[in-house]
Amino acid sequence: MSHKVIGCSVEQINGSKKVTGKSKFTDDLKMQGMLIAKVLRSNIPHARIKKIDISIAEKIPGVIAVLTAKDIQGENSVGIIIKDEPVLTDEKIRRIGEPIALIAAETEEQADMALAAIDVKLEEIQGVFDPEEALQPSATLVHKGGNLLVHKKLRRGDAETAFKEAIVTAESNYITQMVEHAYIEPEAGIAYCDQDKVILLVSTQDPHYDREEIARVLGIGQHKVRVIQQPTGGGFGGKLDISVQCHVALLARATGRPVKLTYTRQESIIASPKRHPYKIYYKSAAGEDGKLLGVKVKIICDTGAYASYGPAVVTRALVHATGPYSIPNVHVDAYGVFTNNPVCGAMRGFGVPQMAFAHESQMDILAEKLNISPWEIRRRNFLTPGAITGTGQKLGQSVGILETLNKVQSYVKEQGWGN
Amino acid sequence: MKLEVLQFELNARKVSVRVKPDATLLDVLREDLDLTGAKRGCGEGECGACTVLIDGMPVDSCIYPALKAAGKNIETIEGLGTEDNLHPVQKAFLDEGAVQCGFCTPGMILTTTALLAKNQSPSEEEVKVALSGNLCRCTGYTKIINAVKVAARNINKL
Repeated sequence: MSHKVIGCSVEQINGSKKVTGKSKFTDDLKMQGMLIAKVLRSNIPHARIKKIDISIAEKIPGVIAVLTAKDIQGENSVGIIIKDEPVLTDEKIRRIGEPIALIAAETEEQADMALAAIDVKLEEIQGVFDPEEALQPSATLVHKGGNLLVHKKLRRGDAETAFKEAIVTAESNYITQMVEHAYIEPEAGIAYCDQDKVILLVSTQDPHYDREEIARVLGIGQHKVRVIQQPTGGGFGGKLDISVQCHVALLARATGRPVKLTYTRQESIIASPKRHPYKIYYKSAAGEDGKLLGVKVKIICDTGAYASYGPAVVTRALVHATGPYSIPNVHVDAYGVFTNNPVCGAMRGFGVPQMAFAHESQMDILAEKLNISPWEIRRRNFLTPGAITGTGQKLGQSVGILETLNKVQSYVKEQGWGN
Repeated sequence: MKLEVLQFELNARKVSVRVKPDATLLDVLREDLDLTGAKRGCGEGECGACTVLIDGMPVDSCIYPALKAAGKNIETIEGLGTEDNLHPVQKAFLDEGAVQCGFCTPGMILTTTALLAKNQSPSEEEVKVALSGNLCRCTGYTKIINAVKVAARNINKL
């Protein structure tokens, strides 16, 4: 049997458009009468808004609309899991880059002038930037309900006893950093009205979610919102959250004209979600043969000012705390914590690479203590078909980790990088 | 702001356009001439998505003052090949799977074209040095470097 697709190299759809520069990314599009949008964002991380004065900005020639929270007819909130992030804030600022007002103007220069002419009176609040400090009872609250977004637990067997019976233990703390996706195409979107419908052309990874949020924020039915994903210049998880979508939709409805919003690189870095930084406290116990008897792990994930994908990332941190290893006794606590840092959401690997740094470092430390090769200690502990994972899942027919390690080891030898 | 007249050769045709004195070459290409193949990735000459060839040299057009292009020969991705008649570098990028999201692709292809015009059989190290000003965030460098080598071989066969 021959196949046209399976086992063949298939040319990318639109590939010939991409190599000839004909592909239309969102910022490449222009429409008749199109306005340029800008967003006024906070440059301090924690404050209460006292007053927003747009009267001077509105009078600048070429400025067609200046919108604040009071112009939102639907719900003023977005969020993939928890709707906790304001589309435009008029009460509290929880992070640098918080959107406060929107401008639509004939030219970018006019929009920039209007941005500078908006007067916002603020009362600054002490911020909290360390997730462990944020969990202290005396900490400043980022949200009314407290700074703990989520606490997930994993318990299997009896980790306390495993540590008592261990021949060797390893205890280390690991800190990972916040990471920006830095897709080469900054966020961009165009919205326009077609009778009573709103049409979006946008750089996004999740057009269905975008439609749902735009409809809620505008206070109209989803059947009146159409989201068209333009060729998207990278996302890596960072274009799963709402960026420009609700802002351009609000402006298009307010002005009746097409409106384009393209982030500068600086705005993209300030406003977009990041990879969660973790603090990981990791203890491992092993027997004389190097077999893992148990682990105790505490993970603190800084989700920043809003939840975004935080609850799901925290779950993944928990589930992957044991790595590709068979461990009979497991005790893991994973916390997602609000701070006044940038929002953290989805990014390639989705909470798992941070854990790999910790569990793999632990394996190297144990190997050294037991004088076993780092390859060998891993082989002795790998999950195999029929094994049970830390979360109690019995694995089925295939587990590829041993084969993978063998290939890596051959490659390392071939390259002369070591044994 | 008073507009200035700018004349240059663009993709083998003479053009004359009235531009703001502070406009960048990228502004003029994208906004005034509707050539959107060069992209604005960073706006500060770091990512290379806006690469065009000026007298055969790859240049970040986002930080190149438009008026400095007067009298020069500018090539953009639109001047290279067409979908029906791809340039060998464009074809190699497509065939070798060196195109992912495609946003960095026009810049990568133009930089490659400039490299191969000077050096018909570049080593891997020379390819890496030549492409060091063009960032890809889909992490497609291995295939991009491979596409440059394939393009070099195919051009040499012509």
